[in-house]
Amino acid sequence: MNTLLNSMLIELRRGTLTLAVLSRLQVPRYGYSLVQLLEQSGIAIDQSTLYPLLRRLEKQGLVTSSWDNSDSRPRKYYVLSEEGTSIFDQLKQEWLAHSGKLLHILNEEEHHGVD
Amino acid sequence: MGLIEVYIQEVTRRLPEKNRDDIARELKSTIEDMLPGEYSDENVETVLERLGSPAALAEGYRDRSRYLIGPRYFDAYISLLKMILPIAATISLIVLAAENIVGYDNNTSVLNMIILLIAEGIWGIIVVGMQVFFWLTVVFAIIERVYKSDDIKPLTPNLTEWKVEDLKHIPLISKQKAIPKYEVYGSLIWTAIWATVYFYADYLVGIYRSGSEGLVFITPTFNETVLIHYWPLILLLVGLEISLSIYKLIERQWTKKMAWFNAVLQTAASAGFIAIINNPKLFTPEFLAFMARVFQVSISDLLSWITIGGIIIFLASAAFVIFDGFRKAKI
Repeated sequence: MNTLLNSMLIELRRGTLTLAVLSRLQVPRYGYSLVQLLEQSGIAIDQSTLYPLLRRLEKQGLVTSSWDNSDSRPRKYYVLSEEGTSIFDQLKQEWLAHSGKLLHILNEEEHHGVD
Repeated sequence: MGLIEVYIQEVTRRLPEKNRDDIARELKSTIEDMLPGEYSDENVETVLERLGSPAALAEGYRDRSRYLIGPRYFDAYISLLKMILPIAATISLIVLAAENIVGYDNNTSVLNMIILLIAEGIWGIIVVGMQVFFWLTVVFAIIERVYKSDDIKPLTPNLTEWKVEDLKHIPLISKQKAIPKYEVYGSLIWTAIWATVYFYADYLVGIYRSGSEGLVFITPTFNETVLIHYWPLILLLVGLEISLSIYKLIERQWTKKMAWFNAVLQTAASAGFIAIINNPKLFTPEFLAFMARVFQVSISDLLSWITIGGIIIFLASAAFVIFDGFRKAKI
């Protein structure tokens, strides 16, 4: 793929990735289940980005984590904290408003064309 | 099994000690999640391939990017480097010239000495350059680590945030007024050359005749003891010239003050020139006799021609340089 296009796409997706991850963490999930879930929704995520992202969100206090040792394989579960839930709601509102405006601009351009 | 452990080790060894265990545990459980129940070595390789380079993964886990000097300080670093390097190089050259004028040794031939000076000059610039580069880099690397900041807005060379106020202290430099850098360095080198020639005149300036072994020095033009006699005056002129060059380097354009400084320097140089050229013992008798024979004139006529001609040329060029300075300052 065109490298310029590729790097712009990565930049475009970077911000939305956090939002996608936060939206899936309303119930506790572990790393790989999150990858599968997002992939099922058509959101491809680089795993070397996701796992560090989860730890960063934890450090920022947006998610909490706990080890579940009951299964044969111990797994680290992440879930939104109270603060994370409130921030996620605000981000979601902002995103919906913003994408609405963007959609408007893009549609306008399609109808009238550019000079 | 072995590959997984090595992969985890390759990630965690790049991370701070306190996070290693937890990340290793999580990574192991993730890798096992990705593998089918019964797995082969090929399955492991595919999974590790998907996780990608351990260095990239470790980079993601680290909080701060690894910079020696980050974007916040880089601009200030480069500006200071550009400012200090040429000044340091010039000072090293001046020190070298001064050392050689003071402690000169007439056993070495002129050509050898010139080659030696050039070699020493180049070597000196390299050494000083490396020193400046090294210490400035160390200082900035320390600043980067001590004054950590998530802010990546570049700081000004004064290490403060940029303000509109800053613009008021920066002159807008017009093309006609500007003093190009090469002019400043050229004049510094010119100062070094004429001062060296002045103090070595009895080896350099004189009558040469081409012989079987190239040019042969026959007789010096000037009486070296007379030239040396004026050393405080020459030192003063050299000092004034270097000060003017540094002043030009800082201001980067002609100003009224600079034009006055330039006028004082040119006047002092003219006065000095007139005093020296009027000294009756300045030229060696051998030189005068030789020239009088060549031009078929009397020695006293020759002397007055040289004196009057020299003074006219010197004064005319000094007047032009003074006038040019004021003209540029006025633009």
